[in-house]
Amino acid sequence: MDRRKFLKQSSLASSLFFVPSFVRAFEEVASSKLGYKRLVIIQLSGGNDGLNTIIPYRNDLYYKERPTLSIAKTDIIKLNDEVGLNPSLQPLKALYDKGYLSIINNVGYPNPVRSHFRSMDIWQTATDSNEFSQSGWLGRYLDNYGKLPYSAIEIDESLSLAMKGEKVNAIATQDPKVFYNLSKDPYFKNIHNHQTDAHLNEHNLGYLYKSMIDAQSSSKYIFETSKTVTSLQEYPNNKFGKQMKTTAQFINSGLDTKVFYTSLGGFDTHVNQLNTQKRLLSQYANAVEAFVQDLKDNNTFKDTLILTFSEFGRRVKQNASAGTDHGTANNVFVIGENLKKQGLYNNMASLNNLDDNGDLKFEIDFRTIYATVLDKWLEVDDKKVLNKSFSQLDFI
Amino acid sequence: MKRKHIQHLHRRVGFGILPTDLDKLSKKSQKEVVNSLFSSSKNVTPLEVDTSEIKNMFSGMMNLSKLEQDARRKIQKISRQKQIELNVAWIDRLAVSKEILREKMTLFWANHFVCEDNSIIYIQQFNNTLRTHALGNFKDFVNAVSKEAAMTKYLNTKQNRKQKPNENFARELMELFTLGEGHYTEEDIKESAKAFTGYSHNLQGKFVFRKRAYHEGEKTFFGKTGNFSGEDIVDIILEKKQCAKYICGKIYRYFVNDTIDETHVNAMANVFYKDYNIESLMRFMLMSDWFYDEKNIGTKIKSPIEFIVGIKTLVPTEFKNPKQLLYIQKILGQKLLDPPNVAGWKGGRSWIDSNTIVLRLKLPSLLINGAYISKAEEGQENVDAESKKAFFKKKYGRWFKTETDWFYFVKHFKKVALEDLDKHILACEINNTAKAYLDALQKVSKQEYCIQLMSLPEYQMC
Repeated sequence: MDRRKFLKQSSLASSLFFVPSFVRAFEEVASSKLGYKRLVIIQLSGGNDGLNTIIPYRNDLYYKERPTLSIAKTDIIKLNDEVGLNPSLQPLKALYDKGYLSIINNVGYPNPVRSHFRSMDIWQTATDSNEFSQSGWLGRYLDNYGKLPYSAIEIDESLSLAMKGEKVNAIATQDPKVFYNLSKDPYFKNIHNHQTDAHLNEHNLGYLYKSMIDAQSSSKYIFETSKTVTSLQEYPNNKFGKQMKTTAQFINSGLDTKVFYTSLGGFDTHVNQLNTQKRLLSQYANAVEAFVQDLKDNNTFKDTLILTFSEFGRRVKQNASAGTDHGTANNVFVIGENLKKQGLYNNMASLNNLDDNGDLKFEIDFRTIYATVLDKWLEVDDKKVLNKSFSQLDFI
Repeated sequence: MKRKHIQHLHRRVGFGILPTDLDKLSKKSQKEVVNSLFSSSKNVTPLEVDTSEIKNMFSGMMNLSKLEQDARRKIQKISRQKQIELNVAWIDRLAVSKEILREKMTLFWANHFVCEDNSIIYIQQFNNTLRTHALGNFKDFVNAVSKEAAMTKYLNTKQNRKQKPNENFARELMELFTLGEGHYTEEDIKESAKAFTGYSHNLQGKFVFRKRAYHEGEKTFFGKTGNFSGEDIVDIILEKKQCAKYICGKIYRYFVNDTIDETHVNAMANVFYKDYNIESLMRFMLMSDWFYDEKNIGTKIKSPIEFIVGIKTLVPTEFKNPKQLLYIQKILGQKLLDPPNVAGWKGGRSWIDSNTIVLRLKLPSLLINGAYISKAEEGQENVDAESKKAFFKKKYGRWFKTETDWFYFVKHFKKVALEDLDKHILACEINNTAKAYLDALQKVSKQEYCIQLMSLPEYQMC
């Protein structure tokens, strides 16, 4: 390198050092932190019984088909003259009253599959029910738009298919401290010594080294960033409450992450449904209430959208064991501050126009919800992620 | 045969080779070594856990829906427990079997003919069907799989009736099992689905053909018209060379390289298309010079199962709590008998994410060395290794309770000089920075050096 060139470059480099750090910090805030929108997914695994969640309490058919499983009119939290909430969802009523909740009824997909694995798969990959994909919809979002290794985090110990892309995978971590501790053994630092070989990605071994270096820096970043805030908010003392607490901590610490994925399992209520669902729904609602409050206290609720789904609803008619069998369409909850359409987004499913199995006929394809969230919330090209064009809804 | 090539061969068709076995084989020719793989896989040893309790409950009953609810729940409970046993038995089998080629092929086919079922009886039977046909004739194989109870359930052939067709099996048969996407039309699926009507099974899991559900009559499939049965459809599909090509491509990607070499795959397809004999195809592949090309050695990323079984092959390790072995499979992203969907695991780089790479690097020390990786430098006193180990064991030991047999390792590595250990444990060269660091560390013992090597990204390659 000749001297002139060297001087030119070094003066350029040094001029950067003179920019006061608070200015640079401000620039960073300005460019990426303001209006930084985040998406939180809550998956209710096992097939939550939507009909005992959002209840058509004026519908005689509901009481006729569920002689011992229906919820008494007097116990139901009424939303309007027709529809009410399961009593365990009291905290959700508060969100509803403030206009933070949009309930989309009768969501499903054509040719529904009643197997947990397969139907969850369809929801996670966003494919038609006769197609299979080895990548999830959020994984494909990462493939196309994920700028950082930690652009999407699943608060769990392993990754769901939803979070695996064709090329890029999200990060799974239940406890940022454990993840950090595992990765920070000096042995793993010393074997690469932060060398960054430009060709790393070209061969498989290089890819492993690159993944390792990414994991080390991500786990450090996630741990060190998230520990800067301590939440004063109390969360229910259970696994799901803990997941939501960790998620709030990630968000409130300003973690540069767009998508968070959480889940609550156990909804497969074939037997003695009432108590199980009561317990699970109150776990859900209490944790969500604490979560929303935590975000509001930190001024991050307005930039957060929370989407709750389950792989299918359950059969209208109860079974012989005071439970319900696998069904089809279900409700989806959208929670956020600036919802365009608050409250009940659409009417409940008809209970007298069922399919051959005695299940609801879906009205809204879940992928139109995904498309809406991708386009209007994450502001990316939904067709690129879903590999297909879907019409959009107007809840946001 | 060259030692390096024998090691490569055994890493791909098995899970690695011990130095003592390598010594024996190195005196033989390539043909003898390859032949020995086939001769030792001649037998089929079914993998079985004791299911007599359920079978006894089944006897005398006609079908499950007639079972008492309590009995049904009891069967489900036993089934769940037995699935864990079968998973553990399968992994143990992979680590110790003499029929390694057959077992590795079974593992391959399990991710080709992907299936799962919550009945231990059906899934165990399915698993053994994979084992039986693993090196046999592909046509027999496809027909056997299509008639398996677990498969007729998994892809709904059971519900596929003349009155109400279900196309699921017909579609996946072509898309995933034989031809690959884009080599058939929707009309072909509709017509072939008719041919697979009537496939069902009895309570015990035996195939039953329900004549009344069968769609008697003409079907037009790939330009041919006739009253085709399911087996006729398989015949017509296999007439297409695309089928041989598709299967060979998959075998190539699994056993040779993630990236397809068209010339080699075409050569394989020419062999396979003749009679669809899987054994001949594998023999051709393993005897080809290109199988041993540099670019194919140590360049694939191990699957989680290859990784776990690989450790067990060198240092026998038993999990005191079998659920922990399943837990490890889950967090590494490949739990046997529990595939993500009928498309199976994607493999290759998709095994790796931030989480799994960290776990893979940490697991060897966690599982077999009390979480300890020696970092004592050359010339430095290493007096506190034992106390450090005790500390790690106390802190992380509760994570995984294992029993390891390091004597076995020492016995089989007796003749290997400490500085040559890497040639046995790793499939590829160590990158320069890691090598420089390792050279600066003390060679405390073969055991500690083995752990250091297993904790490198290089150990993830095979």
